[in-house]
Amino acid sequence: MSKYPKLFKYIIVLQQYWQNLFVYRMSFVVWRLRQFLSSFTALSVWSVVFANQKTAFGYAQDEMITYIFLVTVLYNIILSSSLNALSGEIYSGSMSTKLVKPINVFLSLGFQDLAHKILNFGFVILESLILYFIFKPSFIFPNQSYELIFIAWVALAALICFIINLLFGSIGFWSPDSWGPRFLFYIFLDFTAGKLYPLDILPNIIQKIVYLTPFPYMSYVQIQLLLGRLQPNQILPITLTMLAWTVGLILIFKLVWQKGLKNYTAMGQ
Amino acid sequence: MSPQPIIQVKNLRRHFKVYQKQPGLMGSIKSLFKRKYKTVKAVDNISFEIKRGEVVGFIGQNGAGKTTTLKVLSGLLFPTAGEVSVLGFDPWDRKPEFQKQFSLIMGQKNQLWWDLPAMETFLLNKAIYEVPNDQFEQSLNKLVDLLQVRDILNIQVRKLSLGQRMKCELIAALLHNPQVLFLDEPTIGLDVVMQKALRDFIKAYNQEFNATIILTSHYMDDVKELCERAIIIDKGKLIFDGKLHNIIDKYARNKILSLVFSQAVTKQKLEKFGQVKEHKQNGSAYTATLLVPRKKAAAVASDLLKELPVEDLNIEEPPIEAIIREVFQSGNV
Repeated sequence: MSKYPKLFKYIIVLQQYWQNLFVYRMSFVVWRLRQFLSSFTALSVWSVVFANQKTAFGYAQDEMITYIFLVTVLYNIILSSSLNALSGEIYSGSMSTKLVKPINVFLSLGFQDLAHKILNFGFVILESLILYFIFKPSFIFPNQSYELIFIAWVALAALICFIINLLFGSIGFWSPDSWGPRFLFYIFLDFTAGKLYPLDILPNIIQKIVYLTPFPYMSYVQIQLLLGRLQPNQILPITLTMLAWTVGLILIFKLVWQKGLKNYTAMGQ
Repeated sequence: MSPQPIIQVKNLRRHFKVYQKQPGLMGSIKSLFKRKYKTVKAVDNISFEIKRGEVVGFIGQNGAGKTTTLKVLSGLLFPTAGEVSVLGFDPWDRKPEFQKQFSLIMGQKNQLWWDLPAMETFLLNKAIYEVPNDQFEQSLNKLVDLLQVRDILNIQVRKLSLGQRMKCELIAALLHNPQVLFLDEPTIGLDVVMQKALRDFIKAYNQEFNATIILTSHYMDDVKELCERAIIIDKGKLIFDGKLHNIIDKYARNKILSLVFSQAVTKQKLEKFGQVKEHKQNGSAYTATLLVPRKKAAAVASDLLKELPVEDLNIEEPPIEAIIREVFQSGNV
């Protein structure tokens, strides 16, 4: 019987991911600065929009600033760039060193992702405090709270995003370049996940189309729930849709990964 | 009773589909619409068995199928056809119980974290392979002393020399005391001193743990020093499997006669005894090297001693690398 707790090896993976990230201090600082400036820009643009008017697209200034502020925080928790190198790792054959070891590759990648998110979260809190003092948003939260549902939705969104990133990584079984599709994905995500504006300011037909994708479930619905802009009867359908996306994407990923592994050439020599 | 084989390969095939691009810009444009693929038979119907404790050298030219075979044995590649069993497991299942018992070391790939000291990878492997603390300490100390790397354990891997990195790779791969080692070009790019150090180490590991080792190398010295048995693969097919010295019996057509003469002997005179490979005069020393058919070597030597002013004569087998080179070049397989 092994003396090692089951998840111990993954905790070491998580710690070493951090150690690796801290080696290059400059890139670490620049990466956080980029995140900060992106949030700062979005908040500045909306502050300018509201400079001469009290409402825009059905949102009061406080509501909109609160929305953008929250979406900034959520984006940093749900999305992750920790798997950006996965396709290259697979295509170049570097993945081989992981595949021959008694370690669950997905759990290992999952813990890398978690390491990334924990770090993001820590810095987002810090950066949010700075943004808070600059923009001074007055948060308007409803009386009825749905914290548990909110946390569950955030966790599901992070899982959906992780699986989508794994799917992009799987491109490495066939091609070295996953940057093109990934770039498209992020562009699409920015417009349809509610990062730049709340989705309900879009025309109805476009909203309907956007709701056929997993993107609105990656920040928008969570914030709408937090701001009390969802009806209680919408909670179950949204939860079920998110679960369906999770299961569907897992099944697609399983198929792609199995096919990819059989196609794997462990290139390099 | 002879030990049971722990590696069994039966009619293994591994084929790859390779895209064939037509030359030039037009070829690139055409490939946007239609692509031609070719099937490459990297491993084509090979079978062999390896017993516990054996050290086997895989010999073959680039692209012969050596590395592909090792990758199938480690569970990295899915076999197109055939059966493979290592330690009683199907490698493709990639069961942790199997993975804890072997190591794959690839000279051109590394498992060490590039930006962290090697010690960090050792600690990670300790956790991954669930090596108990005392075993880890003991193995690490022993390996570190044997390979003399104690002073570099806490230096970033990217700052180490190739030789130092390779030694650390070996340590990372052996901390869990694997029973089976797949070594793919472990000495590639190393200087001769470092090559020798690694060979000595691999030999010692085999003896201490009765480990089964398959080794591929471009350096015949690696194979000669470490392996009693050799498997030669050419274009995906197994063309020889047996004792290394039997390659000489099977493929060497000639023996080498090295001669030292007391006075000058012309090349023409020597040619009637065999093929003259070398004929030279160094000051007052006259030397020559002849290639003669193996069966006639003794008789030719006797004739030479009788007819020419021979001061010294040696009959030698040709070097094994020369024989293998000849085998591949002639296609006489």
